Amino acid sequence: MNLALISHEILLLLLGVGVLLADLWLPAARKRSLGYVAAGGVGIILLVSLLGLLPGTVGADPTAHAFGRMFVLDDLALFFKRFFLIATLIVLLMTVEFADRVPAGIAEYYSLILFAASGMLFAASANDFVLLFVSLELITVTFYVLTGFARSRTESLEASVKYLIMGALSSAFLVYGIALVYGMTGAFNFQDLAAVDAPHLEDPIFLFGLLFVFVGLGFKIAAVPFQMWAPDVYQGAPTPTTAFLAVGSKAAGVVLLLRVLFTAVPAVAAEWAPVIAVVASLTMLYGNLCALPQTNLKRLLGYSSIAHAGYLLLGVASLTQSGQAAVLFYLGGYLFTVLAAFMVAAAVLRETGAEDIESLRGLYHRSPLLATGLTFSMVSLAGIPPLVGFFGKFLLIQAALAAAAAAPILYAAVGVAIVGVVVSLCYYFGVIRAIYWRTDSTGHPLTPSMTARLTVGACLAGIVILGIFPSGLWESARQAVATLSLN
Amino acid sequence: MKLAFLPWLILFLPLLAAAWIMLFTRANRCRSAALSISAVVLGFVGTLTFVGANGFHPVQPEVSVTWLAVGGLDIAFGLRLDALSLLMMLVVTGVGGAIHIYSWGYMEEDRCFSRYFASLSLFTFSMLGVVLANNFLQMFIFWELVGVSSYLLIGFWYERASAADAAKKAFLTNRVGDFGFLLGILTFWGLAGSLNFEAIKEWMDNGIGFGSTDPIIVQSGLTLAGLLVFCGAMGKSAQFPLHVWLPDAMEGPTPVSALIHAATMVAAGVYMLSRTFFIYTPDALSVIAWVGGFTALLAAVVAVQQNDIKRILAYSTLSQLGYMVMAVGVYAPSAGMFHLVTHAFFKALLFLGAGSVIHALHHEQDIWRMGGLRRRMPVTFWTFMVGTLALAGVWPFSGFFSKDSILATAQHHSPALFVLGAAVAALTTFYMFRLVFVAFLGPERTSEASHAHESPWVMTWPLRLLATFSLIGGVLGIEGLLTGFYDPVGSEHPNGLAAQVFYPFAHAPVAASVGLASVAAGFLAAHWLYRNVAEDPLPARIGALSRWMRNKFYFDELYEATVIRLQDTAATVIDWFDRWLVAGAAVRGTAGVTRLVGQALRLVQTGSLQTYTFLFVLGVAIVLFAVLGR
Repeated sequence: MNLALISHEILLLLLGVGVLLADLWLPAARKRSLGYVAAGGVGIILLVSLLGLLPGTVGADPTAHAFGRMFVLDDLALFFKRFFLIATLIVLLMTVEFADRVPAGIAEYYSLILFAASGMLFAASANDFVLLFVSLELITVTFYVLTGFARSRTESLEASVKYLIMGALSSAFLVYGIALVYGMTGAFNFQDLAAVDAPHLEDPIFLFGLLFVFVGLGFKIAAVPFQMWAPDVYQGAPTPTTAFLAVGSKAAGVVLLLRVLFTAVPAVAAEWAPVIAVVASLTMLYGNLCALPQTNLKRLLGYSSIAHAGYLLLGVASLTQSGQAAVLFYLGGYLFTVLAAFMVAAAVLRETGAEDIESLRGLYHRSPLLATGLTFSMVSLAGIPPLVGFFGKFLLIQAALAAAAAAPILYAAVGVAIVGVVVSLCYYFGVIRAIYWRTDSTGHPLTPSMTARLTVGACLAGIVILGIFPSGLWESARQAVATLSLN
Repeated sequence: MKLAFLPWLILFLPLLAAAWIMLFTRANRCRSAALSISAVVLGFVGTLTFVGANGFHPVQPEVSVTWLAVGGLDIAFGLRLDALSLLMMLVVTGVGGAIHIYSWGYMEEDRCFSRYFASLSLFTFSMLGVVLANNFLQMFIFWELVGVSSYLLIGFWYERASAADAAKKAFLTNRVGDFGFLLGILTFWGLAGSLNFEAIKEWMDNGIGFGSTDPIIVQSGLTLAGLLVFCGAMGKSAQFPLHVWLPDAMEGPTPVSALIHAATMVAAGVYMLSRTFFIYTPDALSVIAWVGGFTALLAAVVAVQQNDIKRILAYSTLSQLGYMVMAVGVYAPSAGMFHLVTHAFFKALLFLGAGSVIHALHHEQDIWRMGGLRRRMPVTFWTFMVGTLALAGVWPFSGFFSKDSILATAQHHSPALFVLGAAVAALTTFYMFRLVFVAFLGPERTSEASHAHESPWVMTWPLRLLATFSLIGGVLGIEGLLTGFYDPVGSEHPNGLAAQVFYPFAHAPVAASVGLASVAAGFLAAHWLYRNVAEDPLPARIGALSRWMRNKFYFDELYEATVIRLQDTAATVIDWFDRWLVAGAAVRGTAGVTRLVGQALRLVQTGSLQTYTFLFVLGVAIVLFAVLGR
């Protein structure tokens, strides 16, 4: 066993426990600033990881295993670990901004975010159904608490209960599926499964089990038909939770999906690609169409996140290296875009308490920076050049079209994706219209705090720079998916 | 190659300046101007440094970075660094720099001072992009950016309807040319499979993959493609029949006229022709030569009867651009580029001189309401005289040398174009001295003219600087550099100063003497007609012709009656189609249905947990059936 390989997770857990302990001794007035400590700690972990100072982060052994091959630290895992660390960092800063709306226990909120993040980091490295299930549960159970954290608001509690019950249901499917797969093959480990995957192609019980595993993962990324929870939970949960749910939890689902599909059961993946394409199309359609009549910003982003899950699945269904690399690129851009939107939402809506798009009226005159941040975020989500969202969609569609010769159903899926993009322009630009053209605002000028300004500025920089210079992220995404067994 | 980072810096500094001004220093006039000016001046110094380190012929004439590589798609962003582009960079940043500085004085009182400098910097960035592009696509992008920034600058005083109209006219006329340009670019992409200039050149040289072996088809196809590319130059360099936008573009501030409509933007077309000289077939070149020659003559004739000081200069610009295009058409892109450089010096000088006059007379532009300015504004007068002599082509001013090298090649290739060129030279001298006699000499005609004052130093020093270069620009070795670039082996150009000064007489005595004779004829005619007169004697002498000339041969009216009428009719039909069928039935219909579906789907989302779980399990059942139930 090689403990050094899990240094990311160990450091993150230590940080979480440290924050929890510091909470015992700090005076109540100072607890809010613990968030800066947590964010700083995450920043340091990210930095040492990027500098290659952590064990296993510079390629001595590209596929280093730990815990009896349960845990793997390859390029794909590293890509996602860094992704989750950036997301956690920004979400923690957002939480500090949001802290005055959390009645009590803000330090617990910080440490729960850190624990959920460590779950995501484990998920990035899962090489075995057991670790997959445990890390997924670590994420989900933490999110039950995070969703209901604003105890005084009934919406928050309602969202938490709905998430708990739907989540428990999906976990039941997941664990039942794992049991069936284990029962048929006797293997938990992904490499072991890959060895027996082709012979079991005709075995209905094996396929039945696998399908249940995908139900559990589909729930995490909010794909149709397992998306019902998303709008309600997104709307009800405290804004930082929603942001983390939209970025972190979804990405964890995606990395696990990629692992299972392309390392554990590649033969089944090839067989089921048309099903994934159909699910992708339905998800894109459902998300985009339902978002049209929405008036609540967080609910709108909830539907939009369903639609984006559909775009991601389109890349997965292409079954090619470049398709999966496009999925990773898309997530990288989505991180900055969505977090910018939620950061602005947290900063603006805190003032009014309402979350209607109407309350963004005249935001341009109240705070040009926040208005620009939200505008760029919406434009990028809609996929307009030269922002990063455009490149993500471009790469996904390009990969799907390149693979479509082998699987004609992808042509239809790409058609749906394009229709979805057109529909999405309507609601994204509805937000922009509220910001600029509705000037009948009664709101006074808004001066966001330095933290909010820096965070929005950093997200803006990410949206613009990754859009203008996409090569760097694209190359590392390509390198990350090289470990998957794909052509 | 040394200092390879410098060209990138030079290119992007003006963009940074523009962005910084618009984002942060809009309220601070001084800082905006300083940023914009230092960006372009640093560009000039940087170019000089780069040339100092690498010479005009760097070992490695291209630097490029891969911007994106996805699958088979490989998009590179590259810079071309050779004698042609480095020389042009010096012109753009040097002459542009002088104009930037001058603008500080001229625009002093304008309300939107910062916006002006931001647009100016954006323009400089776009122009440098055109100059440095190493492939057609990149050039086209910057080409369009030049169009956009010129739109912003011509329409700078957008509150005035005439300025807004002129900006629109310039932009739309350019778009017509650019449409052809884009078609030409696409044709070359289809044929050669690459847009890189070097790759296209290689493809042309090898002559493989033309798609046909029949030489007639190949030749006519290439001629067509070349002429399509030339359409772009026709728009930007305002060649007949797309010349109509340039005189109207004088609605912009005068320094803008100097920068865009004299020194740089209109030069982009000629530069592009010189850069892509290798793609034109002999047939295409003769079309180019005749379009240029005709434009030169037409514009010179119109200029004779204009009364607005800036319009005279505008038509003169048209005429000189025709000269340059003609030079490219007679196989002498080096002569065309040479004239472009000297013309940039003296035409910028003339425009800035005119601006100085206009500034002193509180925005009076009619030359018949000036007069006697020689005594009131000595610096402006003397520098303007230098510009006039250089434009007329008086030895040893710079214009003489460049015009002579065009005439000499024209004489060699096409006697008809040679005669035409000589006639244009005579007309040029005539209308320029008409301007000088009426505006600067003779009695003051209005009280404003008698109370005029010399402009401040920030405006006169750029005039002095440009006057110096207008004088010596012909003997700086520019011609030798250019001929050497196009013909590295066969060029023998003198290096010594004295040898250069007398080179035209030794090399092509006929062209030189005919050129000087035309100048003398033009001057004598102007002296005879316009020395000390109170009003224009020409209308009485030539009658209807004068009216036609004053009305620019009714081209605007002709276009109004044909092109615009036709377009308006088509627009009405399309508008109806769009309003009722596209917007009404298709868009609103689809949007309505989509919205309805959205509303209906929303009903599924009841908020009830029981429904959700039921639907979840139903979903699982459907997926199970779809996958396993076959």
